[in-house]
Amino acid sequence: MSCNIEREPLLEMFIFETNQLLMQLEESVLESEKKHNYQLTIDEVFRVMHSIKSSSAMMLFNNISTLAHSVEDLYYFLRKEKPAEIDYGAITDLVLESADFIKRQIALIEKGEKSDEQPIDLTQKIKETLAKLKKEEIKTSPKVAFNFYQVNLCFEDGCQMENVRAFAVVHKLQEIASKIEYYPQNIEEDDETTEIIKKEGFHLSFSSHKTREEIEKFFSQIAFLKKLQIKQLNKYEDNKHINKSESKKEFSCCQKKNFISVHVQKVDQLLNLVGELVVAEAMVTKNPELAGLHLDSFYKAARQLGKISHELQDIAMSMRMLPLTDTFQKMKRLVRDMSRKIGKEVELEIYGQETEVDKNIIEHISDPLIHLIRNALDHGLENSMERKEKNKPVQGKIILSAKSIGGDVWITVQDDGKGIDKEKVVARALENGLIAPGEEKEMSEQQIHSLIFLPGFSTKEQVTEFSGRGVGMDVVLKNIEKLGGNILIESILGQGTIFSIKIPLTLAIIDGMTIKVGKASYTVPLTAIKQSFRALSEQIIIAPDGSESILVRGNCYPILRLHNFYKNITNIQSIEEGILMMVENDGQIICLFADCLLGQQQVVVKPLPKFIKKVDGLAGCTLLADGSISLILDISALIN
Amino acid sequence: MSKKILIVDDSLFVRESLKMLFIKNGYEIAGEAANGEEGIKKANLLKPDLITMDITMPGTISGLEAIKQILTDNPDNRIVVCSAMGDKYNLKEAILAGAKDFVVKPYQPERLLEAIKKYIA
Repeated sequence: MSCNIEREPLLEMFIFETNQLLMQLEESVLESEKKHNYQLTIDEVFRVMHSIKSSSAMMLFNNISTLAHSVEDLYYFLRKEKPAEIDYGAITDLVLESADFIKRQIALIEKGEKSDEQPIDLTQKIKETLAKLKKEEIKTSPKVAFNFYQVNLCFEDGCQMENVRAFAVVHKLQEIASKIEYYPQNIEEDDETTEIIKKEGFHLSFSSHKTREEIEKFFSQIAFLKKLQIKQLNKYEDNKHINKSESKKEFSCCQKKNFISVHVQKVDQLLNLVGELVVAEAMVTKNPELAGLHLDSFYKAARQLGKISHELQDIAMSMRMLPLTDTFQKMKRLVRDMSRKIGKEVELEIYGQETEVDKNIIEHISDPLIHLIRNALDHGLENSMERKEKNKPVQGKIILSAKSIGGDVWITVQDDGKGIDKEKVVARALENGLIAPGEEKEMSEQQIHSLIFLPGFSTKEQVTEFSGRGVGMDVVLKNIEKLGGNILIESILGQGTIFSIKIPLTLAIIDGMTIKVGKASYTVPLTAIKQSFRALSEQIIIAPDGSESILVRGNCYPILRLHNFYKNITNIQSIEEGILMMVENDGQIICLFADCLLGQQQVVVKPLPKFIKKVDGLAGCTLLADGSISLILDISALIN
Repeated sequence: MSKKILIVDDSLFVRESLKMLFIKNGYEIAGEAANGEEGIKKANLLKPDLITMDITMPGTISGLEAIKQILTDNPDNRIVVCSAMGDKYNLKEAILAGAKDFVVKPYQPERLLEAIKKYIA
C-alpha cells in the first residue's frame, strides 16, 4: 500500500521544526510578559529567529527569511545594547505579529500552496522601531565615525577568575564601544571558560568611535594584563568562533528529543488496519462454523491472538492521542492579544493541559474554545471600573481546564465575570421569536441558558472585532456535537459562568452493546447505557396520544420503540417479550425497546457512506464479528 | 604626597598585613574599617584615594552594598575588591556597581600592589 505523501522529507522537517520553534517562541514571550522580565527572552527570540532565518533561506522561502532576519536584527540590537527604557509591549506585539505571519506562510506551504505574501509592512515596522531605538541610543552617546577593532588579550598567570576579569573588561568596554562580541561566550555563567581564556586568551570584537591610541590606553588600564593584541578592521566581521559555538548548542538540543514525526496519514492507516484486524479476529474466533466443536487448543491460541490484537489496538489508539497543551497555549496568546486590545486586565489559568485526546478532536476543539474564551473576555468579564464597584479583584480571571472522566474528556471555560442574565436572555429570545410568549415560565434554568445556543441569538448590541454577531454560539454547539460531545452552562448572575464541554476521548473505537431489532442490529455506546431490564406490562403507562412511558422506581421515562422508529419488521411487539434499555444523555433519560441483547463488544466506528441520506439518530456504522453491519445509535439525537 | 588607602575587611589579620604591605610600599593608611557601615562612614569622612573592600563581611551591610553606597555618595571613589575564590556572583555585581578591579584571596602582595598602582599612580 502506498501513501500519497509526496512532499520531501526535508520540507516536512522544516515545517515541523519551524512550527515547534514558533510555539516555543510564543510561549516564552508570553511568559516573560507575564513576569515583566523581558531580558530573559531576548536571547531566546534571537536564537529562534536566527534558526528560522537560516532554515527558511535554505528552503528558498525568502519572504519568511527576510522577516525573520529583520526581527533578528531588532533583537540583536536589544541583546547588545540592552536599552533600558523601551516599550517592550510594542516589541512583543511585533514579534508575535511576525510569528503569525510565518505561521500563516507555513500553513500555506503545508497545504502545498505557494507562499508568496511579502511581509513588507511588518519589516518596515520593525525597521522603524529599530531605527527609533537606535536613535535614542545615539542620543545618549553621540557617536561619529565607527572604527572596528579585534582584540586578543591574555591575563597574567595565576591571577585567577579569568572569566570574571573578562566580564569586567566587557563591562568597562561598554562605556566606549558598541556591538561587542566576544569569545568564549558565557563568561558569566560558565566557569570552564576560565580554562579557555587561560589557554587561548580572550577574543573581543567591537566597534567604537575612539581612536586606536585611545583603545590602547583603555586596555593598558586593565590590571594583570600579560599580552594585548589590537587589530583595526575595515569591516565589522563576525567572530567565527561565536557562530560555531552557537550552532553546536542548537544541534545538541535537537538531539535530545525522543520523538519521531510520522505523517498522520500513516497513523490513520495503521489505525484502520488495526480496526479491521480486531473485526477479523472476532470473525475467526466467533465463527458460526465453530459452534458445537470442542477445540481447546484453538481457543487457547485464539485468546492469545485476542490479547495481542487488543494491545495493538490500544497502542495504535494512543498514537493518535495528543495532549491539549498546544491548543491551550494558543489560548494564552488569544487572551493576551484581546486583553491588550479591549483594555481589560485578565489572567488565564490553565489546568490539565496534559490531558490527551484524539488528534481529530484537537483539530476541532480549537475553534469552539476560542469562541468561548472570546465571549468570556468580551461579554463575560466586566471592565475594571465595574469590577472595582462590585468589590471584585480588578484583574479578571478565566480558568481553562481539562480532565478525563471515564470515556469522556471535560473541558471547562470558567470566568468570574457578570454571569448570564436570565431575564435578558428570555427577553432577547422573545424579541427574536425564538420562544413563544409564556413558554419561558416552564423552562428550567439550564434550558434558558441553552437558549444562547440557538441560531440568531445575540444579547450584545455592539459587534466587536473579537466576538461575532451572534452566529457564534450555535456554531460552537454544532462543532462540539459533531465531535459527539455536548456543552453545559452553569451561571450565577454577578459571579461568573462555566461552560463545560464534554467530548468522548476517542471517536474511532467505542465500547458498545449490540441489540437486535427484527433482522437488524444496532449498537448503543456503553457510556450511554444506565441499565437494561425486562418490563412488566403493569409498569407501562399509555398516554391518550398513544405514546408509552414506563414507571421505574417512582420516575416516569418515555419509551422509544426502535422497530417503529426504524420501521423494522419484528414478531416481538409486546413490551414483556422484548427488552428495555435505559439510556441517558445530558441528564435526559429514555428507554429504548429492542428484541434482545446480542452482547457487548468494542466496535470500530465508521461513518455512514455518503450515498445513504441522513437518517435520524444514527452516529455511524460498524462491522460485527460475523461480518454483518450494525448501526450505531446516536443517543442524543434519539432523545431529541 | 603619598596616596591614602582605606582598608575595609572584617579580619584583623588581613587589615594588619595589608597595612604593613601598603606602608612598606610608600602608601599612607587613611583608616580601616571592620564592616560595611563603618566603611561607608569612613570613606565619606576620610576621603581616601583608594579603598580595598572585602566583599563578604558580617553585619547588616555587605561589602557589595557598601560599594554601591560609597559610589553613590561619591562616584569618584576608587574601589578594589578583595574576594574569596569563586564568589563569582558577588564579583560580577561589584563590577556592575562600579568597582575598579578585584583581586582574589589569598592574594600575593605583588598582585594587589599592581592592581592598586593602576588606579593610584
